[in-house]
Amino acid sequence: MPERLANRLKERRTELGLTQAELAERVGVTRKTVNTVENGVFTPSATLAIKLAKALDLTVEQLFWIEP
Amino acid sequence: MRPFVIGLLMGLFAVLAMAVVMKWRQRNLPMSATEKAEYLGKRRARMLPLLAVIFLSQQATFFSTLNSQSPHSAYGPKIAAWLALSIVLLFALSTKGFWFERKEVRDLLDDENTRANRSEGMRWGFLFAMAAAIGVYALTLFDTTVTARDAVHIVMTIGIAAALIRWGMLERRAHRDA
Repeated sequence: MPERLANRLKERRTELGLTQAELAERVGVTRKTVNTVENGVFTPSATLAIKLAKALDLTVEQLFWIEP
Repeated sequence: MRPFVIGLLMGLFAVLAMAVVMKWRQRNLPMSATEKAEYLGKRRARMLPLLAVIFLSQQATFFSTLNSQSPHSAYGPKIAAWLALSIVLLFALSTKGFWFERKEVRDLLDDENTRANRSEGMRWGFLFAMAAAIGVYALTLFDTTVTARDAVHIVMTIGIAAALIRWGMLERRAHRDA
């Protein structure tokens, strides 16, 4: 079975009171990209993962993990 | 002036006119770069499959008159219009598109997810073009005459249309629930 990159992007974003659009603006992407990462449709690059983690004040490992 | 050149110029004029109309429609929309990228991205997702349909229907008209006794003067402009549209669509597929927008908006419109979707669209386009080439080759084995020009026309049309449709589908899915 293929491994999947899970994340707590939505949970953390909601905690900080941010909308998808606001988070997107902080990392310099469109809302569509944040949406697809949140839903697990799109696996972000290391660069984007680091930017997202920084914007949400977490480490990459806290934000993303691999689910078997 | 040769009919081919007239068709080519008409095709390019149509593309330019579309760009002007699009810019005019946005004239009263005070938007930040992010908002504008969101707006244009959604519109692109709606337009890509529509463009593929227009492109394919244009070719249906062309192929339906291909073996008829249509005069040569009608053949030239059609080929030129197809060539102009194909070149524009290929540019749109292989660049960031939205050539008349400012760089900030264009960069946002070509973010990571869009690049991934576009690459997947291009992959599909390549595979469909190869399948079409195999199909045309197989056709010639059964005594069907296909000229080199027609073969190129078929392969390019199917490849570009497949890429547009796949990219459009992925963009629409990405915008869903956004």
